[in-house]
Amino acid sequence: MATYSLANERLRALEDIEREIGAILQNAGTVILELSKEKTNDRLLDRQAAAFTASVQHVEAELSAQIRYLTQVATGQPHEGSSYSSRKDCQMALKRVEYARLKLSDVARTCEQMLES
Amino acid sequence: MAQQRALPQSKETLLQSYNKRLKDDIKSIMDNFTEIIKTAKIEDETQVSRATQGEQDNYEMHVRAANIVSGQGGGNTLGSWVRAGESLMKLVSDLKQFLILNDFPSVNEAIDQRNQQLRALQEECDRKLITLRDEVSIDLYELEEEYYSSSSSLCEANDLPLCEAYWRLDLDTDSADGLSAPLLASPEPGAGPLQAAAPAHSHAGGPGPTEHT
Repeated sequence: MATYSLANERLRALEDIEREIGAILQNAGTVILELSKEKTNDRLLDRQAAAFTASVQHVEAELSAQIRYLTQVATGQPHEGSSYSSRKDCQMALKRVEYARLKLSDVARTCEQMLES
Repeated sequence: MAQQRALPQSKETLLQSYNKRLKDDIKSIMDNFTEIIKTAKIEDETQVSRATQGEQDNYEMHVRAANIVSGQGGGNTLGSWVRAGESLMKLVSDLKQFLILNDFPSVNEAIDQRNQQLRALQEECDRKLITLRDEVSIDLYELEEEYYSSSSSLCEANDLPLCEAYWRLDLDTDSADGLSAPLLASPEPGAGPLQAAAPAHSHAGGPGPTEHT
């Protein structure tokens, strides 16, 4: 959810890492494909190989940082917070609004009937 | 690591296993990629003929690639390399799950934000209802005046204001049975004028208290 900014940042970082892992495999596949050709493009080979190495190191650094952060903040206890009370209050407010709407429609209908008769 | 609290054994073991998996997978990727590149190197013929060497290399490449996707054991290069990729993806997924469940600062913030949203929505609903009540009460007062001052033949006796019903019943006291007279006589005489004023307020004030609850 877009509203959970801090949690979303870390989760988004992990999703970027996932995409990067896919890119790593793709880079390596391109290198091998290029090697299989009779006439290889050296510049492309070097570029892809460098990108592969850089991506692998970046993924390793990012995941290490995430694991380090989790080591610092994780406890053994389950989180027992909830937003149930405010959700219930909001639900009751919406019920009040709905009730008021029903009653107003009754009044409107009564007025229309009185006007017709 | 200086800030690390005394984690339960399971959590600490789990985090250590994540570290180990990460190191192993990255090492596997790098080593196997290097091995594949080395295999592509053209070498002079050794004791094994070129065809046999070619077949061996081809088989090695296929087995490693198959290991990568299927996750079977074997330790061959290409398969281990792709298996390492899948294993990394699984590690990322496990980290995401661990983060959602155990990252208390972000969970707290998420809960606070949700509470704020819901409270803001509730206050807005109540504020609009109060505005609506103030507007409708004015209109209702006029509607009631119009309704009760209109031809009362449209109304049933039950719908009449109390004073009207009282006066009508008083007129019919001769034909009514004697039981109704003591009931009507029970209110105090001093309350008579008050009763005339009370109905005018009761209809306007009736819905009010109930809305406050």
